[in-house]
Amino acid sequence: MIELSDYLVLGAILFALGMAGIFLNRKNAIVLLMSIELILLAVNFNFIGFSTFMGDLAGQVFVFFILTVAAAESAIGLAIMVTLFRNRGTINVGDLDSMKG
Amino acid sequence: MIEQLIFYVFALVLLFSATMVITVRNPVHAALFLVLAFFNSAVLWVMAGAEFLGIVLVLVYVGAVMVLFLFVVMMLDLNLSQLREGFMKHFYIGVPFAVVMAVQMLLVVGSGLFAPETLPEARMPIPEDVGNTALLGSVLYTVYVYPFELAAVILLVAIIAAIMLTLRRREGTRHQDPGKQVRVRKADRLRVVNIPSARRQSEQE
Amino acid sequence: MTNEAFETPNLLLALPEIWLLAMACVVLVVDLFSNDRDHGPAFWLTQVTLLGGIIITVSTQWGVDATTFSGTYVADSLGALLKIGILVLAFLGFAYSRDYMRDRGILKGEYYMLGLFAVLGMMVTVSAGNLLSLYLGVELMSLSLYALVAIDRDSSRASEAAMKYFVLGALASGMLLYGMSMLYGVTGTLDLGEITAAAAELDDRRFLFLFGLVFMMVGVAFKFGAVPFHMWVPDVYHGAPTPVTLMIATASKVAAVGLFLRLIGEGLLPLLESWQHMVVLLAVLSLLIGNTVALVQTNIKRMLAYSTFNHVGFILMGFVAGTPEGYAASVFYALTYAFTVAATFGVVLLLARKGFEADHITDLKGLNDRSPLFAFVVLILMISLTGIPGTVGFYAKWMVLKSVVEAGFVWLAVLAVIGAVVGAFYYLRLVRYCYFDKAEGEGPQPTGSGGFQAVLAANGLLVLVAGIFPGTLVAVCLAAFL
Repeated sequence: MIELSDYLVLGAILFALGMAGIFLNRKNAIVLLMSIELILLAVNFNFIGFSTFMGDLAGQVFVFFILTVAAAESAIGLAIMVTLFRNRGTINVGDLDSMKG
Repeated sequence: MIEQLIFYVFALVLLFSATMVITVRNPVHAALFLVLAFFNSAVLWVMAGAEFLGIVLVLVYVGAVMVLFLFVVMMLDLNLSQLREGFMKHFYIGVPFAVVMAVQMLLVVGSGLFAPETLPEARMPIPEDVGNTALLGSVLYTVYVYPFELAAVILLVAIIAAIMLTLRRREGTRHQDPGKQVRVRKADRLRVVNIPSARRQSEQE
Repeated sequence: MTNEAFETPNLLLALPEIWLLAMACVVLVVDLFSNDRDHGPAFWLTQVTLLGGIIITVSTQWGVDATTFSGTYVADSLGALLKIGILVLAFLGFAYSRDYMRDRGILKGEYYMLGLFAVLGMMVTVSAGNLLSLYLGVELMSLSLYALVAIDRDSSRASEAAMKYFVLGALASGMLLYGMSMLYGVTGTLDLGEITAAAAELDDRRFLFLFGLVFMMVGVAFKFGAVPFHMWVPDVYHGAPTPVTLMIATASKVAAVGLFLRLIGEGLLPLLESWQHMVVLLAVLSLLIGNTVALVQTNIKRMLAYSTFNHVGFILMGFVAGTPEGYAASVFYALTYAFTVAATFGVVLLLARKGFEADHITDLKGLNDRSPLFAFVVLILMISLTGIPGTVGFYAKWMVLKSVVEAGFVWLAVLAVIGAVVGAFYYLRLVRYCYFDKAEGEGPQPTGSGGFQAVLAANGLLVLVAGIFPGTLVAVCLAAFL
């Protein structure tokens, strides 16, 4: 039998992978955006797991809205990255240090 | 038993591809591994009874969002050799941090605290005889109509922001104007020229 | 089906949000068809929308206590008060920004639309009755603000600031969501009222509540810009166009207060003793870091960014007690602080002209010779931010300190007072530049239209008046919680 904890463990590992992705990738901002997608996917697993095992619909509704917002979020994130690339010619996260103090 | 096996196979592929997303050098490969991760997630969601969400994940994420990612990767013309430098430098900070975090989270969510008998009672129960899609549809436009409208506004903001940030009108580009094409009349394009025929010319000579 | 208990929502209760959304769409269309290079119609319509929103909010929501849209929307006095604050601050922000944006070629219709949508997101956040509407409100606000930071798309600094803001903001949303998912798993509901009820009858699942609470606290602290989740604040303040910085520094802080109060302050009030220590820790770190780093800043926007931490520390201190008086003190502090800082950024915008940002602290040298009126405004603002007795900043600090001492955290109050004294150094340094130094070169020149100068002067004088007669505003803040 699949347990609720299977879903939650999967969610927790995905969440940690997403966090690790943000810490590891200091060179490539696109992978940062992908790591954020992984974090949101992890949250979705939690909601779906709870929703299924409680037999409650609200969790699935929440997932529906997270998917919508995440799509809008990546559109804006990619647009910001395109402007960054046009100005700098790079999306290297390590180069984002023009402001100091 | 079979069900459990399928779950673990797809979950393992999911975790493998998620790991590859954050470690591969080439962003195109990363995007494709993310697609794989979404496909596996969709299967797991369908197994959990959330068919609609599984299908939406494939249609919206794989179909639209990941294509947008790939499009941007192609457009930006990145220098791949630079992307990898410094990876190891952060490896020794990032990996222990993530491992510690994962272990702590697993200790909580993997413990018996979320046993089935401790789960709260459903306030919005899922009936057995109604399909998942119909069920979501029945609440989206009633109980959750306010969040639904907000989601629409968020998508509008995304459209406005993306256009504002990236649209550039360049002078001197050649492009079609469908409005003008439709509006054109016969008189604008076609001119009947009365050319005297060659034979008569020769006769005149 | 699951919608048997569905009641048709009472749209009138949500009238402020509906008005704002409808008018934002009108601005969108009107701006599309107007040929005005200065986007005059969009500007005036936006200001009319915000003023109309204030009137509607006061007349339909103050003193009401009701929910609609199946409990996802709450209309009450607290929401009304915060909404009025947000609308007034947005009005000031737009009034101050027109010349600045025009001079830099970034006066676009999108500035007004995204600004209105950000305001809508803040309003949704402060009157959310459900985790879902809370999350969507926060996202609507954040997404609009990310885009606004990058609105000067040819500025390398602005797009860098936007990228940082985006990545850290999205991370914060992820944290917030993970915490919300745990809360859902423990209580089985998304409704904040039901969550409060479930939190009151704790059993062996208390630990899971706390697990989710930690994630949510991190997410909220990110949105607040509280230390140690403050990394984005200085760069975003510095890199964004000043009018956008104004909006992030003022209206979005008020919305963050609303987010904290709805989600944790009221939603998880039964767990007070668990989150109290986390808030104390955030407040202490904010007070310590903010003041020490602000001392060495030479850029006004960066200085205000670091000094924000000091004020965020005070706002968080008001939450520590978990009493209506403490919450009222925090709301009073946030509103008066935001109002004062709006005027400070207004002065920076007033002195800025084409090719000159006026954001270095020495740019204020000799302001008294050029414009005694605005030198006086700077004087009022700075002594109010410092918290010298007789100013509104003093009353705000005093209310917060009173609530913490009553909650038994005397040491925290002492630390905060020391912090306020340190703050006097860098605030009063600006006053010294205005009054006792001679202008170098062209020096500060108040530019800007008469309307702008009138609103800014009124804003500064209102800060003075609020310091002399704080009673009404204090009473209003208290009434919102009782």
